[in-house]
Amino acid sequence: MENRLDQFVRLSALLTGFAPLHLLGTGMAETYLRATDAALPDGVLDELLDAGSLPSAGSAPPTGSAVPGAPAQPGGSALAGGADPDAAAGQAIFGDAKLGPVARALILLWYRGAWTALPQEWRSAYGASPRDVDHVVSAEAYQAGLQWDAAGAHPAGARQQGYGAWASPPAALETESAPGTTGVRLPRQAGAPSVTEGARS
Amino acid sequence: MTEAAEHEEYDVVIAGAGVNGALIAKHLTHAGFRVLVLEAGPGSAWSLDGYSRHLDHFYAAASKGPESPWPPAVAAPQPDTADIRSGAGYFVQNGPDKYGSSYTRAQGGSTLHWLGVCLRMLPEDFELRSRFGVGHDWPLRYADLEPYYGRAEHEIGVAADVADQAHHGIEFPDGYDYPMRRIPLSFSDQVLADTIDGMRVTLEGESIALQVRSYPAGRNSVPRGAYRPVGAVDADVDRHDMITHLGERCAGNTSCTPICPIEAKYNAGKTLAQADRGKLRVLAQAVVSKVSVDPVSGMVDGIEYQRYADPASPRHTVHTARGRVYVLAAHAVENAKILLASGLGGGDSLIGKGLIDHPALYAWGLSPVPVGAYRGPLSTAGIEDLRGGAFRARHAAFRFDIGNDGWRATTGGPDSSVVDAVTNQGLYGTKLRAHLAATLPRHVRFSLAVEQLRSEANAVTIDPRHLDAMGNPRPVISYRIDDYTMGGMAAAAEAARQVFRQAGIADCTDPEAGGWFPSVRRDGEVFHYHGMGHFGGTHVMGHRAGESVVDTHQRSWEHRNLYVVGSGSFPTMGTSNPTLTMAALALRTAEHMTEALAARQPIRQGEPSGF
Repeated sequence: MENRLDQFVRLSALLTGFAPLHLLGTGMAETYLRATDAALPDGVLDELLDAGSLPSAGSAPPTGSAVPGAPAQPGGSALAGGADPDAAAGQAIFGDAKLGPVARALILLWYRGAWTALPQEWRSAYGASPRDVDHVVSAEAYQAGLQWDAAGAHPAGARQQGYGAWASPPAALETESAPGTTGVRLPRQAGAPSVTEGARS
Repeated sequence: MTEAAEHEEYDVVIAGAGVNGALIAKHLTHAGFRVLVLEAGPGSAWSLDGYSRHLDHFYAAASKGPESPWPPAVAAPQPDTADIRSGAGYFVQNGPDKYGSSYTRAQGGSTLHWLGVCLRMLPEDFELRSRFGVGHDWPLRYADLEPYYGRAEHEIGVAADVADQAHHGIEFPDGYDYPMRRIPLSFSDQVLADTIDGMRVTLEGESIALQVRSYPAGRNSVPRGAYRPVGAVDADVDRHDMITHLGERCAGNTSCTPICPIEAKYNAGKTLAQADRGKLRVLAQAVVSKVSVDPVSGMVDGIEYQRYADPASPRHTVHTARGRVYVLAAHAVENAKILLASGLGGGDSLIGKGLIDHPALYAWGLSPVPVGAYRGPLSTAGIEDLRGGAFRARHAAFRFDIGNDGWRATTGGPDSSVVDAVTNQGLYGTKLRAHLAATLPRHVRFSLAVEQLRSEANAVTIDPRHLDAMGNPRPVISYRIDDYTMGGMAAAAEAARQVFRQAGIADCTDPEAGGWFPSVRRDGEVFHYHGMGHFGGTHVMGHRAGESVVDTHQRSWEHRNLYVVGSGSFPTMGTSNPTLTMAALALRTAEHMTEALAARQPIRQGEPSGF
């Protein structure tokens, strides 16, 4: 039986596009699990974790790689996640008025190290926690923000790259092997066209 | 509270432990004089432990503005750019325009959060009236300050190559070079230079070629000759000796403003640590409230200060410090405030009048290729070519700062871009990550700092209705951006658009989408501007008493044992960040004070000052 932290990390990998190993490597997973629980009414996170473990999604771990040319999401809804099992789970989550905003807050938590308060309508409908306010979780959380990794950069004021590193080309878009294997990053050759526009809904 | 400082004799009492006060304290103690420095704010940044706590404060701050690591004491409130919109906070903004800058009241002063730009002023900046018929001339010329610029560059520890900096008539003595080699240009600078170098813009009929140029920075790089970079310091000498090489090279923390985590960027605590400590006493949490003047002689006979123990409380005791000579080095606004609160301004006095800044525009865009944004010192290059020229007869000069910090200052990136992608575009998972990887490294930012001329209507005043928790006056700021400056803004905005077009950068400049900034309007065009923290002009220097507050040594015309130092003395500021020029002036003042003090026998406390 998968424990709750594993479940949380697996869902987080699906939502953020970073492999579980990378997420665990930030050292923030347990803190974020607690922070998310604290910011939500009882039981809401478990609903989200369950939705992320739909049979279609649960049968295979998030692949960590988008399928090129994934079909547009039906119904014109604002969905633009991965395809196949991920897409199914994503659809289940982001198509849900209760779980969608929570999932978005969780993504922002991982990327920014800060909790973003849920919309007022959401709180009116599903309940409000006193911890559901905009706040940086901790100094460590700020430094662990995934946004810096996605940018090929480093958090301002921490994890510096060293004297003169800024004169070199930015690290090419880093890719990861499928979660559940090694999580090794494969930097591309410097100078090679290495980035592609993400799909927009 | 015991107050030993009150019973001791000093040759010099200095208000303010920023770059000016620290430089004067260092040189006068080494000349053998006893110096007391009174600092209004906390002294916590002067120990490595304290500095680390400020860094943690920054990490955990929701907003990471220039003030975020440096929360003020209740007793020494400071302006905060977050208050400009609401009008709340320390400054009383009297309008019509908002003054957009802030400063830090703490030991180390605003060098704790400054960017580190150490440009010399251009020779023509000192002669604006003579050459262009606008503004004022300085009572000093570039040649008068040149030797002090060189010394200031070594005191601060400036990284640059003379070969890059000799432009617009700036001259260096034969054989001179900066103490450290220039900071490497960022990848972004190199990419932009490929398209910008040689491009021409036309201002008032004058065609000017542009070049991406390294600027001198108070950040440690590779030393020249025997120069040893000064890294992190600790006030405690034993602890200081345990800090080995920390901060002796810039490590690219991308956080010059608001805090360099390793003190590779200059702050005034480094200079203070180099004073003759046996001759120096520094009292933090001592707010100078009043300068006391002997009504007969006009000489200053004491400085009243309020000492507090708890930064969270306004509880304090009042004391008086006495010396032979007094120095106000508390900041352009605070200097004026203290003089006015002491009843020394008013009437025809120019104290507080002529407040200037560099109101600056942001321009931001998306490069067609990755430039590696969000890495390196916040900026490493600028475009200096539009800082001087015949056009200055018609409108203000300006300077491009080229950011390495993406859209952080303009929209709040990368956070704002992540929020937009997740919330508005509905992205998640690998597509979210790929989108961010494809866009964030392409963020480009220019900051266009525009010159402003002194006008007596732009002023710091005080009003008994507006007091802080200690009962000291809050600065009341009257401020208007005139047509000369707005003409420069219009030219700067147009130049930025041209550069973006030529470089194929998608212009994303949209003040509605960015952070909130105050605005001014001219001929239907709206300019959203931010302050650069470049306060000046509030105790202007000149050749004659009636036309200025201080002489060329920053010595008060009215009170001959009082020096009022800093950028408040500037008659004009050109387009240079003011710190290097005020450091040069402070060194010149320290030299003058040393000679003047040495010419008189030390006098005992209580006797009329023989200075």
